[in-house]
Order: sequence, then structure tokens, then C-alpha cells
Amino acid sequence: MQNNTRKVLLIDDNEIDLKINSRIISLTQIFESIITCHSGEEALSYIHRHLNQPEALPDFILLDIQMPEMDGFEFLEHFKILPAHFIQRCPIAMLSSTLDFGDITRAEANPYIIKLLKKPLNPAELSALFI
Amino acid sequence: MSTPGIKVLYIDDEENNLQAFKASFRRLYEIYTALSAEEGLKILQNVNIHIIIADQKMPNTTGVEFFKSIIHTYPDPIRILLTGYTDIEALADAINHGDIYRYITKPWNDLELHNSIKNAYDAYRAKIDLRNKINELEKTNEELNRFIYSISHELRAPLVSMMGIVDLVKMENMYQSSGEYWSLIENCSNKLDYYIQKTVQYYKNNKTVTEQTDIQFDAVIADLVELYAYSDKETRFTIHVNQTAAFVGDIFRIEVILGNLISNAIKYQKSNEPNKKVDIAIDVNALQAEITITDNGVGILNEHLEKIFTQFFKSKHHPGTGLGLFIVKEALNRINGKISVKSILNQGTAFKITIPNAK
Repeated sequence: MQNNTRKVLLIDDNEIDLKINSRIISLTQIFESIITCHSGEEALSYIHRHLNQPEALPDFILLDIQMPEMDGFEFLEHFKILPAHFIQRCPIAMLSSTLDFGDITRAEANPYIIKLLKKPLNPAELSALFI
Repeated sequence: MSTPGIKVLYIDDEENNLQAFKASFRRLYEIYTALSAEEGLKILQNVNIHIIIADQKMPNTTGVEFFKSIIHTYPDPIRILLTGYTDIEALADAINHGDIYRYITKPWNDLELHNSIKNAYDAYRAKIDLRNKINELEKTNEELNRFIYSISHELRAPLVSMMGIVDLVKMENMYQSSGEYWSLIENCSNKLDYYIQKTVQYYKNNKTVTEQTDIQFDAVIADLVELYAYSDKETRFTIHVNQTAAFVGDIFRIEVILGNLISNAIKYQKSNEPNKKVDIAIDVNALQAEITITDNGVGILNEHLEKIFTQFFKSKHHPGTGLGLFIVKEALNRINGKISVKSILNQGTAFKITIPNAK
């Protein structure tokens, strides 16, 4: 992946995890700024609002799996119909505490997912995606 | 000798027989009678009948034809066929297609018929009890599924958040800031997480159906070593894989088995050993895979060797969870594998596993 990544979007319904992961990511200094959303819906609406402002759009998404109403996989269904120019610039990694075999195989099979990261987020594993 | 509550439906086109039946048994059972299959069906629709007695020789619909016709709509009542003559063909048909419990010749003997009805009722109860038990089990099973799901999600998620906080504390150089408290919290969280993971693993081993796939042992073992050696960079691994044939097996269970043994080999090293090492040798042929995992760790007391595969066995000096090797044994049982162990205290342990090639 390219090195000029600047913005990361975190999608997680858990406030504490958002806080922890934001902090871990800011300590790694991989990204210039962090956008946090508490749900897939909120993230989609953010993306839609900023489709004409590329500088405000994320370059990478960290997506939780278990969320109420729209879970991570459903978010991906909405993600894939977004404009191609955005999809191409914004890879996604899932970030989950899941031990569920079904979740793991599903995440690995999804073409938009470059990696399934396990919580707690390991900074070295995250950095490895950008080398 | 009365057994009230047993509902018996008797179908016969001869009114006299119905009367005689009622006269003999009305004090013993709740009796319903019908002069034809059609009439009998109407009663079945309205009353929860336990036992159906039908005459074979009736105009329009014979007894066997009637039993056949209700086999799917009313599968529960136990069926008894009455015939006035020995019609082998009808009898064979009844047994093969009508799910008949008893065959009784006319004129019937009251005692014989009474005993048949009593036995039929026992069969009815057993059938219903079995079905209730199955429903109950299915419900319990489903609850267990949900419970395991919630263990692996709801229960683990906040724990993992805690582990994330400890990581942050380390990254921000505050780990030593409160004496050893942070390291104690870290220890406790790791232990709890280990228990959760093992519990889920044990359960999955019991539930998951065996799925056979092609296995390349060199790739499998490299992944596992990378996964488990991640937290411990001191142990040196030497791996020899000699796979001369394609191997087909249950990858989920093989990973569970090897993963637990590798993680044990790392965990039970001597803390003061400068040269910690684990040797893994894998020999695969058309018949089986033979895997030996040897470490130079703390070893196992001779008297403990028998017990290490039992659930919740822990040694006093190097306690684990008492789950790892138990799960290994359980998973091996599922795939007809074998395990043996040799150990010398303070010198090391060697586990040898044989897994049949399912090709």
C-alpha cells in the first residue's frame, strides 16, 4: 500500500474501543488524522457528505464486525456501491475481537477486506499493512 | 385394573362388534367408535386418540388402507389391526406400509386385547416422551450455541478492551507507574482470555463436523509457529517436514492439536534455560502423519504422565489451565489419532502424534 495515507476512519459502536484505538493509532503516527463513527450508518453518511471533498475522505477504514443494526458485513454491502474513485483509494481492514469461525472465514473471503485484525489492535500489525 | 385416560378409537363396519367392545372395555378406557374409515377420521380430527383399532375387512376402505392414509397426518396413535381371517397379503402390507403395532384375530380374546391395548399405550407414551426429550435437547443445544456465541463475543469484547488499555499504558510508558499493578492486571486479563479461548475451542471441537481437506504440513506448521512464537522470541524452533504423499485430514482439529502442543512447548520452558528450543519433526506418508514435538523444558513428573490428558489436571509446580492437553486428546479422538508422551523431569518432553491419512 502507498505511504501517503493520511486519514483513517474508525467505525465501532463501542465508545471505549474507539477511544483506545484512536489513541493507539495516533501513537503510531501512521495517519495525520482520525475520524471516528459510532455506526455504519454514521460512517456512510459522513462519506456521502464529503464525496466532493476528497481531502476530507478517509484513505483507510478500520471496521468493527459486531455492531447493532448495521454490522460490519452489511456496511460492506453499502460500501461497494459507492463511487469507484473512492472505493479504490480506501482499503478496509476489519478489527474485531471475534473468535467465531464463520466471521473469520467471511471476512477473509470478502474482496474489500485487506486484513482481519484482532482486538486489541496491535500497532506493529497495523503498521505492517502500510509497508 | 382400570387405566383411565387412555383414548381408544375402534373402527368396524359391524355394529355388533362395536357394542361388544364397548361392553367389555368401557370401564377401562375412554372409547370412541366408528362404523367406517371416514367416520373414524372425523373423530381423529377432534379427539387426541392414543390407540386406533381397525377392522381389516370393511367396505370402501380396509383397515390397512385407512392406516396407510393417516400415516403422515396422524403419526402418533398406535395402530392395532383386527382381522377375521388370516390374510397373509393384508398382513404383510399392514406391517410394511401401515406402521401396525399388533395384529389380532377375530373373535378377539378380551384379555389378549386388553394386554395389547395396555402395551400399545406404553408404546404411545414412549414415543411422545422421546419426542419431548428431543425437543428439550434441541432447545438446550440452541441455548448452548447462544451461550458460546455470547462467550466469544459479549464476554470477550470488554476483556479485549481492557487488554487494549494495558497495551496503551505500555506504549505511553506508564506500565511501571503503579508498582506492579499494571502487570498484575495484564496477567489476569491474559489468563481470563486464555480460558475463554480454550472453552470456545473445546466446544467447537465437540460441535464441528469433520471436514476433510488437503493439508500441506510445512505451511500449516510454519503458520502455527509464527502465531504462537509471536509472544516469545527466545525459543528456537527447528522444523523438519518430510511429506512424501498428499495428506487429507481435518484441518481445524489438526491445528487445534498442534497449536496447543506448540504453545505448551513454549510455555513450559525453564525460565533459566539459556538455550530454549523446540524441535518439530513431521513425517507424512500415504498411511499417516507422524508428528513429534520435543522441547527441553521443565518436563513432566512420571506419576503425572497418566493424568495430563484429563480435564482440569494441573501440576503444582507449573500449573496451567488443565484444558490444553485435554482438548488435544478430545480432538485426536474425533479424528482417530493417537498421542504418546515421554518426559524426563528438568530435561524436556516429547509428544508423538499419529494421525491417519484420510485419502
